[in-house]
Amino acid sequence: MKQRDLELLSSYLDGQLSPSDTSRLESRLLIEPELRSVLSDLRSARSMLRQLPMRKAPRNFRLTPKMVGKNPPLPRVYPAFRLTSVLATVMLFLTMGLNLVRPTLATASPGFGMGGGGAPDTFAAEAAPTEAPAAALEAPAATEAPAEESSIASAPMATETISGQEDSARIVDTPVAKEGETQNAIGGGVEQEPPQAPASDTPLVPAVWQWSLAGIALLSGLVMLFMRQISVNYWRNRK
Amino acid sequence: MDEQALILDAQNGDLDAFNTLILHYQDSVFNTALRILGDDDLAADATQDAFISAFKSINSFRGGSFKAWLMRTVTNACYDELRRQKRRPTTPLEPDTDDGEEMDSPRWLADPSMTPDQKAEADELEHAIQHCLNNLPVEFKTVVVMADLQGMDYTEVAVAARVPLGTIKSRLARARLRLRECLQGFEELLPSVFRLEEESTA
Repeated sequence: MKQRDLELLSSYLDGQLSPSDTSRLESRLLIEPELRSVLSDLRSARSMLRQLPMRKAPRNFRLTPKMVGKNPPLPRVYPAFRLTSVLATVMLFLTMGLNLVRPTLATASPGFGMGGGGAPDTFAAEAAPTEAPAAALEAPAATEAPAEESSIASAPMATETISGQEDSARIVDTPVAKEGETQNAIGGGVEQEPPQAPASDTPLVPAVWQWSLAGIALLSGLVMLFMRQISVNYWRNRK
Repeated sequence: MDEQALILDAQNGDLDAFNTLILHYQDSVFNTALRILGDDDLAADATQDAFISAFKSINSFRGGSFKAWLMRTVTNACYDELRRQKRRPTTPLEPDTDDGEEMDSPRWLADPSMTPDQKAEADELEHAIQHCLNNLPVEFKTVVVMADLQGMDYTEVAVAARVPLGTIKSRLARARLRLRECLQGFEELLPSVFRLEEESTA
């Protein structure tokens, strides 16, 4: 049996042949027993298939929103609350971290974060012995000239001059100081700061800020939860 | 049922509209999957997957036969399942009889509309046909199920199978012939069916 004849017979069975092809095949069927036999086989197979019972679906295949990944529509302000909650939480942890880290930094490096008071003084005291002679020589000239001008100059200038004089005097005082005092300054730099020590106990970020941030984060979270619940309920009732 | 309106609503995201379409087509889709896969549970899973996939890609439906479009989705789901089976072959578990032998099919026990003899005969027929269908290549099986079981015309089958009309004609003819040859092995088992066929062709 040719493939072409097989296709013709199958299509003839389904009424899919053109009128001309149909009449041609029918005339061949009258004279070709093999064609009739195959046609009978095809008809038989088709008939058997059509006898198969159509089963009822074993369950309902209706889709739920969850199955198709559909979420209830949330209010437009919902993302704003989400952002607020996230930012407040992040900032809360950041401030907590800062407050935790600050005393550690203070003990590890006294000059760091102490308003810059400790390190320059110590540095000045250490540098003093070497630079002292030169500074001492220059100091008188430096102090006299501005002092003369200050009587003619305006008030702000005078103020600057005075402060300049004080600075110069400090530099001049240092080499004048006794060697023992300089050593005290080197060795006792840290010991001379007891008034600043209590500052390390006070947190960098006040507790009231942290409580506020925690409150904002919690409140935003609760509002989000409330909004979501209302949306889900509304969505369910609508269905 | 206004099918076009429901499809439009579903394309706009209306799940209720799509569920109405599901209720209308779920038996056809399930039966197609059942005959391609030959297993109730797998067919149910494939049907569910097909409907989920169909909803997600409903916007790709551009008109024509919705049934053909759905059938394409379910045949794709069946192909996926068959590929999974190839990767992880499993042995089906049939309930045992008291003698410890596998029960041929426990399904007829649940059908109250026939006498036990009729049920047994129908069940045997169904089993024989399903056995022969299972022996067909999946491309042949898909075409013959859609044309002869679902009663779809050639054009619809071509759309669903995504192959040219000539290929559908060829596959259908060869599938029918192979089925007939296979079913001849069950002639003694199913004499009444064949007798009826012989009488009608005589």
